[in-house]
Amino acid sequence: MSHPWPGYRYTGKLRPHYPLTPMRPVPGDIQRPDYADHPRGMSESEQFLKGTSQIKILCPEDIEGMRVVCKLAREVLDIAAMMVKPGVTTEEIDHAVHLACVARNCYPSPLNYYNFPKSCCTSINEVICHGIPDRRPLQDGDILNVDITVYHNGFHGDLNETFFVGEVEEGAKKLVQTTYECLMQAIDSVKPGVRYRELGNIIQKHAQANGFSVVRSYCGHGIHRLFHTAPNVPHYAKNKAVGVMKPGHVFTIEPMICEGGWQDETWPDGWTAVTRDGKWSAQFEHTLLVTEMGCEILTRRLEENGRAHFLNQM
Amino acid sequence: MEDEDDCPELVPISAQPGPPAQQIPVTIITGYLGAGKTTLLNFILTEQHNKRIAVILNEFGEGSALEKSLAVSQAGELYEEWLELRNGCLCCSVKDNGLKAIENLMEKKGKFDYILLETTGLADPGAVASMFWVDAELGSDVYLDGIVTVIDAKYGLQQLNEDKANGLVNEAARQIALADLTIINKTDLVNKEELNQVRDTVRSINGLVKIVETQRARVDLSEVLDLHSFDSMDGAKLAEKLELAKPMRPHLDKSILTVTFEVAGELSEDALNAFIQDLLWEKKFCNKDGEPMTVIRLKGVVSFVGKAHQVMVQGVHELYEFNETPQLWEENLHVNRLVFIGRNLDKDVLQDHFVSTVVLKAETP
Repeated sequence: MSHPWPGYRYTGKLRPHYPLTPMRPVPGDIQRPDYADHPRGMSESEQFLKGTSQIKILCPEDIEGMRVVCKLAREVLDIAAMMVKPGVTTEEIDHAVHLACVARNCYPSPLNYYNFPKSCCTSINEVICHGIPDRRPLQDGDILNVDITVYHNGFHGDLNETFFVGEVEEGAKKLVQTTYECLMQAIDSVKPGVRYRELGNIIQKHAQANGFSVVRSYCGHGIHRLFHTAPNVPHYAKNKAVGVMKPGHVFTIEPMICEGGWQDETWPDGWTAVTRDGKWSAQFEHTLLVTEMGCEILTRRLEENGRAHFLNQM
Repeated sequence: MEDEDDCPELVPISAQPGPPAQQIPVTIITGYLGAGKTTLLNFILTEQHNKRIAVILNEFGEGSALEKSLAVSQAGELYEEWLELRNGCLCCSVKDNGLKAIENLMEKKGKFDYILLETTGLADPGAVASMFWVDAELGSDVYLDGIVTVIDAKYGLQQLNEDKANGLVNEAARQIALADLTIINKTDLVNKEELNQVRDTVRSINGLVKIVETQRARVDLSEVLDLHSFDSMDGAKLAEKLELAKPMRPHLDKSILTVTFEVAGELSEDALNAFIQDLLWEKKFCNKDGEPMTVIRLKGVVSFVGKAHQVMVQGVHELYEFNETPQLWEENLHVNRLVFIGRNLDKDVLQDHFVSTVVLKAETP
């Protein structure tokens, strides 16, 4: 282990385990998003649309592209899920994710996105999101979120799940269960005519009813040819999100729910978001397509009746 | 394994959401190059020498900078600070990078009394405003106090009259449309008639804006700071202002203008939401020439069925919100007043739609 930031006051028990392995290359024949080769990992296509609130309505060909990439992203997440057990390091999971993407002709979207160094995000315990895979072995009792986004044929597909590592305490199990329910209840409400800002009301109501809080700093987002674009989908109640759902819209809902307070801070690595009080946080995410009658969960699991992996361990 | 580095048991912080103890006002100062923004800023800094004021120049432009300088004035001294714009979580972040950077700086170096943000002449102050007009739920350290536009008495009219290529908004007009306060500067360079023309033109664009005339940007600071234009603190003051907002005949063609109407009665909150969304997001309403209405600024005081308090309505471009004010309707007639500033606005179309879909319980005065 190393002490990369002398003087930094950690909010919980988790520490970074450096050094990281060098950035993994992606074979040249796999289509790359624009930021992959930008020195600072900036996406010009995203910057161009920054601040706009116009939500793209996907044509049938684009929708097919999204169906394909989301299915591939799901396959990669399922592979990561199989690896979760005490002793495995998050870097090992990241390596497997990287190889799984390449094998499916996908570029791992997080890699070099604004210089993110790895191919997926692994967030443990008090980490809310954007955890960087490193040398730390998973410990019995941890909760781990793996966030996968892949890029294939010009489209991005994004999903994440929180998993149990070995035997997890009841309180953490309740947190994970409630977070999953928050996501599914929000998804149940998705259909044309619903305002994006309504989702936060649903999520916060359920989280609060169970004594948990909702992270405010990070939100769901539109996704298709761009990794992150309009609409902005906050997960907290009474937000000013702009937009009404229409058939053909594609976006993610990804609530981050906390045992304690919602306030977050970022590690000096510029990415890892942790709860200020050091208590734990869980997250679940799906990419959704709004249809005439409701929505299609593009990243749904195709086996086990679509149940999230943690449910096998409850 | 982790024990040797464990920090001592931390005292848990209280998990109460809500606004922090003291929020810092952000004032956006806009205007064309040469109108006198910098003079105004310098004037504020020297006059308020016992306050700690941060001045940010040229807002937060294209996301390429990793750092941005900020000038802080304190006790008559001016020194430089740096905002770290960590690009890291630009993506799915609710708060703008610039806003987070300011909050981080204040956490490290202490709070400011005021934050002044000067935008470039061509920037859309509405976009900058929305960076700071955050949801109350975010418990930010800062709040948007108001938008101040400085216009040159001598060249202002010319700038406002500048013909823009098809469909593009005249920036000078947009700056006035979004302003809570307009300072007509350099009045010593024009005669009474010319000044009247400028004032009338400003008034025709924005029926609500406070207008102050200055020479060398010397203004009474109580007019510029603590405007509270975006919060519900001043419900009564707003209602008064709305009553006085007199729509005027447009002075320029294809122009931005102000439309107001008032209707007595109680409204359905859902229906008002739908009306405003159709107007601001879907751009469903058209004027008699079939051109879609574009609203730049929206302000109003309304009465919802079942709510004893007056509710303030605020909008900038597509962002809008309702805020209950401390003012009660009591025995007064429930007069709903709405003011729209934008292009291709048609009062009749708006009012008819409003009356037929939003008013639940009409009242006759």
